[in-house]
Parts: sequence; C-alpha cells; structure tokens
Amino acid sequence: MAVAAKPGYSCPYCATSFNTVDDLKDHVLKVHGTEALPRPEGYVKLTVNGQAWELEVAPNWTLFYLLHDQLGYTGAKTFCDRGACGSCTVIIDGRPVLSCMTLAIECDGKNIETAEGIAAAKHPLIEAYVKHHAMQCGYCTPGFVVTAKALLDRNPDPTVEEIKEALAGNLCRCGTYPQHPIAIIEAAKKVLAARSENTPA
Amino acid sequence: MMDSDFDYEIENQDFSAIGKRGIWRIDGREKASGSAIYTADIKLPGMLYARVFNSPYPHAGIKSMDTSKVEAFPGVRAVLRSDDPEIKDKVVPGSYGAPWYVLPDWAMWEGEPIGLVVAADSEQICDEALKLVEIDWDIRPFITDIEDAQKPGAPELHNKVPNDIYDAVNENNPYASAFSELFRIAEGHRTFEQGSVKKGFAEADKIIEFKARRRMHTWAQPEIPSAICRWNGGYPEIWVKHQHAYEHKQVMPVWFDVPMNKVTLHVPYQGAMFGGWNWMNWSTVIHYISALLSKRTGKPVKLCFNRRDDFYGGALDCGTYEFKVGAKKDGTITAVAIKSDYVNGPTAAEANTGIYHFIENSRIPNLFKENNSVVVNRGPVTAVRCEQLANTLCFNMVFSHVAAELGLDPTEVALKNDGYDGEDSEYLTECKKRFGKPQRDSLRECIEAGKKAIDWDNKWHTPGTRKLPNGKMHGIGFVWTHEWNSKRGAGTVGVLFEPDGSVSLMAQRADTGLCAETAYCQIAADELGMRYEDVFLNSHKDSGFAMMTPDGSCNLCTNGWVIRRACRKAKRKLLEFAALGYQEEFHSYPPAFEGCGPEDLDVKDSVIFVKANPAISKTVKEVVKEVMCVQWWKHPQIYDWSWKQTGAHVDPTGEASEELIDPNKRPHFCRQAHFMEVEVDPETGEIEVTNVVCVNDVGKAINPEGVQGQQYGGVYMAVGRGKHEEVILDEPTGVMLNGNLLDYKITTILDCGPIDPIIVETAMGYGPYGANGIGENVADLTSTLLGPAVYNALGVAVDDFPITPAKILKALGKI
Ligand code: FES
Ligand code: FES
Repeated sequence: MAVAAKPGYSCPYCATSFNTVDDLKDHVLKVHGTEALPRPEGYVKLTVNGQAWELEVAPNWTLFYLLHDQLGYTGAKTFCDRGACGSCTVIIDGRPVLSCMTLAIECDGKNIETAEGIAAAKHPLIEAYVKHHAMQCGYCTPGFVVTAKALLDRNPDPTVEEIKEALAGNLCRCGTYPQHPIAIIEAAKKVLAARSENTPA
Repeated sequence: MMDSDFDYEIENQDFSAIGKRGIWRIDGREKASGSAIYTADIKLPGMLYARVFNSPYPHAGIKSMDTSKVEAFPGVRAVLRSDDPEIKDKVVPGSYGAPWYVLPDWAMWEGEPIGLVVAADSEQICDEALKLVEIDWDIRPFITDIEDAQKPGAPELHNKVPNDIYDAVNENNPYASAFSELFRIAEGHRTFEQGSVKKGFAEADKIIEFKARRRMHTWAQPEIPSAICRWNGGYPEIWVKHQHAYEHKQVMPVWFDVPMNKVTLHVPYQGAMFGGWNWMNWSTVIHYISALLSKRTGKPVKLCFNRRDDFYGGALDCGTYEFKVGAKKDGTITAVAIKSDYVNGPTAAEANTGIYHFIENSRIPNLFKENNSVVVNRGPVTAVRCEQLANTLCFNMVFSHVAAELGLDPTEVALKNDGYDGEDSEYLTECKKRFGKPQRDSLRECIEAGKKAIDWDNKWHTPGTRKLPNGKMHGIGFVWTHEWNSKRGAGTVGVLFEPDGSVSLMAQRADTGLCAETAYCQIAADELGMRYEDVFLNSHKDSGFAMMTPDGSCNLCTNGWVIRRACRKAKRKLLEFAALGYQEEFHSYPPAFEGCGPEDLDVKDSVIFVKANPAISKTVKEVVKEVMCVQWWKHPQIYDWSWKQTGAHVDPTGEASEELIDPNKRPHFCRQAHFMEVEVDPETGEIEVTNVVCVNDVGKAINPEGVQGQQYGGVYMAVGRGKHEEVILDEPTGVMLNGNLLDYKITTILDCGPIDPIIVETAMGYGPYGANGIGENVADLTSTLLGPAVYNALGVAVDDFPITPAKILKALGKI
C-alpha cells in the first residue's frame, strides 16, 4: 500500500517538515542562520553603483565580463586583457581592482563602483577630466577616473608624486599622462571644499 | 568673402572660440564617464563571434586540412575555409584600396591569419575549436633578420601579392588610391641624387661616417580591433574601427553585389590606432569575412582579434642605415649620402625616403639616397605615427653626429643649414612674400624658446663631459625639422540650423582622440557667430558627407578649411533669410529684419543684429524657429555644405604656376625644435629621461590644449620607442615572444620627467588661419631624440633603437 506523502515543505538542511513556506523560511533563518533556500551554484548578490543585482554567474566569468558584457557597464574596457593596463579597473569595497583578473563568482556581497557610477554621483573628477583634456581616444580614460576616485577616497589631498604612484598601473597609449595630475588635483580641491562646507563649524 | 588658402587671418580677428583655452571637449563627458561606445563594446542580439586561425610557422603553406573536428565542436556555427570556392585565392581591395587576400592558405610570418575562420557563440569557443584543426603543412625556409636576409644562401622572398594580381584588382576598384601603389612597387633598390655628393664631399673639411639601426616596433592600439556585420535582408550594416571608415562603405559594392546606398555604416569611438592598424591591408579585409559569415549564418558576426594578433606589424623606419656626411668646420653641411635597407617594402617605394627632410628643410645642396627593400618573415610594416619616421631618423642622426663630431652647439648647426631645397633663408623670405605669409624666422624662434625653457646655455656641454653627483652621466639632445601640414586630404561637411537655434555639423568621421571634432566646432562657432556650446558635430553618424580622415596630420588643415567654407556659406544664407524672408509662388514668410539687406546684419553670440544699431537684434533661435513644423511647415531649412581638397595650391597672384600647384614644391615655413635631458647610469646602462621641452610652430593653435595633448602624447610614445619598444622574435622558430603588454613595454606615467609643451604661432602654415598639423610630428621626431641625448651623455653614439641598457654597456666596453 502506498504511503501518502506528508504534506508541506521540508528543510533542505535538517529535513524537518513545515506546512507553509513562511514557516520553513523562519526556521531556516533562525536555526541555520542562512538564506531560506540553498543558493544555486554561481549565485551572487552584489551592488553596482548602488543598484542591487542578484544573478547566476558561470565559474569562468571574469568580473569584467559580468559588468561589461552582461550588465552593460561599458566604462570597464579591455586594453591588455591580462592585468597590465588598468583600463578595466573598478572599485570594490573602496579598493581599485582589475576586473579582468577577478572572477565574478568571488564578488558575492561586494559593493562595486564603476566610472558610470562616479559620473552619476557628479564627482568633480569628471568635470576636471573634461576641462583639462585628460583624454584623447578615451579608451583608457574611465580606468584612470576610477583609479583616481579610489585614490581621492583614501587620500583626499594627494601630491603629484602620490598621484603618479597611484596611476602607475594605468596605461595610456595616447600619452595623456601629464594632464591627469592637473585634473585630479583640481577635483581633490573641489571635494575638500564641498566637505568643509558640509562640516558644521 | 574671399576664401583662399592665403587668407590666413590671424591678426585683427577677435575670436571667441578659436585659440581659446578651457573649451570643453565635445567628447569629454562620454569618454570620462565610460558611456562612450567603441566597436569593442558592441554586442548585438544573437551575435556570433569569429576568430581567424594564426599560422604557427613563419613561412609555410597548407597542403591539406581536416576541419571536421572544428565543425563538430559544440557552439561552432560556421567554418570558412581558405579553399571555399567563394574565396579561394581571392584578392580584394583592402585598406587604402591596397589589394589583399580574403583568406590566404600560406603564411609569410608567424601569426598571419590564414586557412580558416570559425564563427561560434563566444570567442573562447572559437579559440578552443581552432585548436582542433588538422593541417598537413608545407614548411618553407624562413628568415627574420634584415642583415641575415642579405647574406648569400638566404631564402629568397617576395611581396605576398604578386604585381600582376595587384594590378588586376586595382583596375577593377574605382577607389584604388595612390597609396595602394606603395605596396605594389616596394621590391628592390631605388636611388635619388640631387646636386653632386662627390663634389660636396670634396668641399668638406671633415667626412663623418656612421651607422644606425631601428628594430621593429609597433602601434599597440588600446582598443583591440574587431569588425561587425549584420545583413538586414539584403542590406548590410557594418560597425567599423578604422580611420577610413567611409572606405568600407565604398568597398562593400566592390566586394558584394550591393549598392552603396544600401550599406549602413556605424563609426563608434575608436581606441586610437596611430595610423598603423588602419594601414594593414586586412584591417579592411576582415570586414569581408565578417560580412560573408553573417550572410551565411543569418546572424550578426563580430570578427575579433586578440591582443597578440595586434602585434604582427611594424613601423616604416624598421631597418638599417649607413651615413656619409661632409661638413665644413663651422657646421655647414656640404653633402649627405645615406643608404638604407628597410624591412618588407613600402618605405623603399620612394627613392627619396630618408633624404626628404633635407630637401624640405635645408640648404644642403648635395644629397644622395639609396633605398632597398628586404623582405623577411615578419608582419607588414606600415605608417605608425607616421610615414615620416625614416625621414626624421636620418635627419636627426646627421645633424646630431655633425655637431658632436665638430664639437659645435647643435642648435647653431641647425640654424646654419636651415633652408629649402638647397636654397637659403633669403629664398624662403621670397616665398613667404609670394604666399602672403608673415616674415618670421620660425626655426630661430623655436630654438630660442626651447633653449630658454631647458636652460640650454648652462646645460649643453661637449659629449661625455658631465658627470653628476649621483654618478650618472648627464646628456642633453636637440632635434629639429619642419612642421607637418596639409599636403593631402579632402572632405565634405554640411551645416544645418536646427529649429531650436542650435547648429549641427553633418559629416562622418572617425574619432581617434585628436580633439579635432572640438576644434571643428570652435571654427564653426567663430565663422557663424554662434556660441561654441550651440554647435555640435555628431561624427559617428553616416550622414553621407565624409570628412578628411584622421591621417597624415592633415585633418584639421583640411577639415578646417571645409568647415570654414561651409559655415561662411550657411551664414550668408541665414542672413539672407533674416533680411529677406522667404518667397515662392504660393507661399511667403516675412523677414525677421524688415528693411535690411543681408549685408546690414551680422551674428555674434548666437544673436543676429543690425550692424549700424546692434540694439536691434534677434536670437538665431527666434529667426529660424519655424523652420520646419513637419506637417505645417513655414519655410525651408537653412543649411549649406562645402567641399575642399588640400595640397594643390594656386599662385596667389593669380598666375598659375606648375611649381606652386605641386604640393611637394610648396616650401615649409614653420619649424619645430625639441630638447631632451637624460641621466645615464654607466654601471647599469639604465637611462632616465629627466626633462623634455617641445617647441612647435603650429602656425595657429585652434585648440591649444589639444595641441599640447599631442606634444605630451608624442613624447611619451617616443620615449618608449627610444628606450624599450621592440617586437622580439625567437630566432630559431620565428615565433613572436612578446606579443602582450607585459612584455612589450609602452611607457607609463613614471617613465618620463616633466614635459614642457611650448606653442609658437607664426601663422605661416597652409591650413586655415595659418595653422599646421600636430598629430604625428612630435612622436615622429622625438622617437630618435634619445640618440643625440645619449651621445651627449656618453661621448659615444649608441644609435641602435631601442637603446637598451645592454647596448649602452656594450658601447662603454663593459660587456
Ligand atoms: S584589461 Fe584588465 S588590466 Fe588590462
Ligand atoms: S586616451 Fe587613448 S589610450 Fe589613453
């Protein structure tokens, strides 16, 4: 005689049964301290320029491929394709990172910023880059902007030497290098001025 | 208004945008924010990716191949074989119209794209699948070194496309250009003589003989190239990364049975290519392959190159040079003879390559040049910023060696020999008069500005005599030549007043980053009387009008004239409309300025006003706002267009003279001078470039920051070329060893000391407002500036570029 299956939902971790999905979710969260359901392989949750994404990534996807080809953040560019040029730089949790050398699957829970986000937040770097012609063909430019933003976040008042040091990993075949410190110093001044305006005396 | 090429109009013009600093680049925001789209960024629905097989051998043919495993590989959607009946042995017009194989079945260099192309769901699948091809090879003897290639018993090699095939393809191509000739006639020796070098050597106090060499270097473009095609029914749509985007629209009807008006062309932003890539014959031919595969699969196809593929090609100066120079004690040069062997052809096509700047730029009467092409198993050489590299190398070497060997200040030697075509500065004075140019001594001005900026009088010393406290040797070098100008080029542009009072410049062009589009808007703003921010050029659109491409430093000097002409015509139309309104049989529109003639009106800051009483005014917007209300239109659009070809110039006196119509007989009046300081470590051979001063008489700087960008960029590229750029092959196998940006070093921000970019404006150029070009010349001229600087530091010449530490130590006898 066939045994009727127990109605309800069983916990994937300990097999306890529940009558409703909500009960199961409460149990998993409380007892196992994790998401209600096991994540499919390759599932990542990340934030790009303040937007939350939940997606499944293949294990061989680089962060560059995810951002550029899947999500359409074209600010990350491939120049060298192997960690030598900095044109694919994005900021992950405050640090500049080469997205061509980072696997997307490692970015679960990360907060990512790209040039598009820096521009959308009206960071003075963009204006300074345009004004001081810190670009020619522009292919490497977003990578420089991202590296510069990460620098200003950790060092709001850098010297020319510190800027050069920070940009030493960004290649520009058009040779726009001397124009970057000028733009970055101007942007830094604007960020500092805005900060002091917002700080109560 | 008169619009001749002698109308330089620098003085008495109150420009509001031309020449101003702080003008916003029209492409700036897009580029800085990452929203500028390049061909590499484009992904279309259902798009397939394609990759070409690269020959693993430097010289080999495919006897037979089995592609069954490639075809069966999951994700592969199409395989195109070189023996496919549609393309077998097929040669078609490529870049500049120069014929090339669609897909050859034999290779002249390791890495050459041959044999088969795979289209698949991803680039990775293509690469995996390509590994599965089984080929029965006919492996042939090869040679990669230009000197070894001339030794007895070396394999005899020829140009890849035989001349008869070349001619047949050219004959059927209505767009074949003069440049395609370069690749056809490139084999063998050519000689040039002016005056008598024998006589010149006899008159000399000293004969100076030496050798130089330039190893293969390349462009290393930032955006890796690709070609996209999608057939929409019978109409192809193409996305092109190429300086001559329009050329692709022209060749589609030659390649396929499709009329030009059914080809849609997209020209996204271009991650620079410095000429180089876009001269490679297959930079155009890859579009043939993507179009064919797209047609066959019914999908959009993006043919992708990878970073390594982009290193198979070099610059026109690659080769060996032998010099013999005669000079008087005071630095007057009496004769120059140079013999050069160039890698793979085109540089040797013209007999005077290498001696050309002596003709263009000096009073030296006796000149001799022998050019020889030596074919080796390396990729083609092309104009990599730019085709003048061999000329500037020879010019720099001769002047620096003469000064050093005679113990003279090189700036003095330059001034002593400055001239044109064997004639001295008095002749130039005459010519300046004839051409309506101001009388200024450009070389002297450039040298004075540069010497002051670098503190030459305190720093220059005789070679090998200044040791610094840090133990290094101090060196200072100087080079000079003429400016680049509008010797070639043609372009068309439309100028349209939109109903909101803004102005669209309508033309298609490839943006490679030169800031030229911004400069066009500056010219248009001033010529129309519009505010700069009211003018815009959307160059990515195929509007049917094509502007001069970003080539040969000629684009602003061509397109500037074109824009100026078109704007003057359009402004005239605007004022006619403002003064007279519009009348036709059944319709009329009242004038905005009743009772005025067009000549009574003018425009400034986008406002039309009555000249006699500027208080009477209306904005351009008010005047044109009813231009087109789609269904209930009130009056036609206000627009005009213009075309111009540069290079051919008519005598300003009106008497046409053969001499003046030949652009090669048009004297250069503007000069440039560059100075470099180095510190050379005699223990390690390390060179540090500590200071550079660039002085360019650009005639008129339309966009000064744009000019300085080219000065900076030129120096950074040149420092890399001088110090470390070299494509290295493994000698026993002919395989490229450093086809990536880790091993082929381009300069970083840390690799050069401060650069002082000085602009001189004498208005003596042949471009609009007396302007010259600037895109190529600094990179070109300063690529070998390291030679004179190192010579000055060490007292021995190390003119084998790149000048690596090992070469320095060898020259010092340390290894
Ligand atoms: S593309 Fe990532 S570092 Fe170059
Ligand atoms: S602007 Fe072209 S590579 Fe940097």
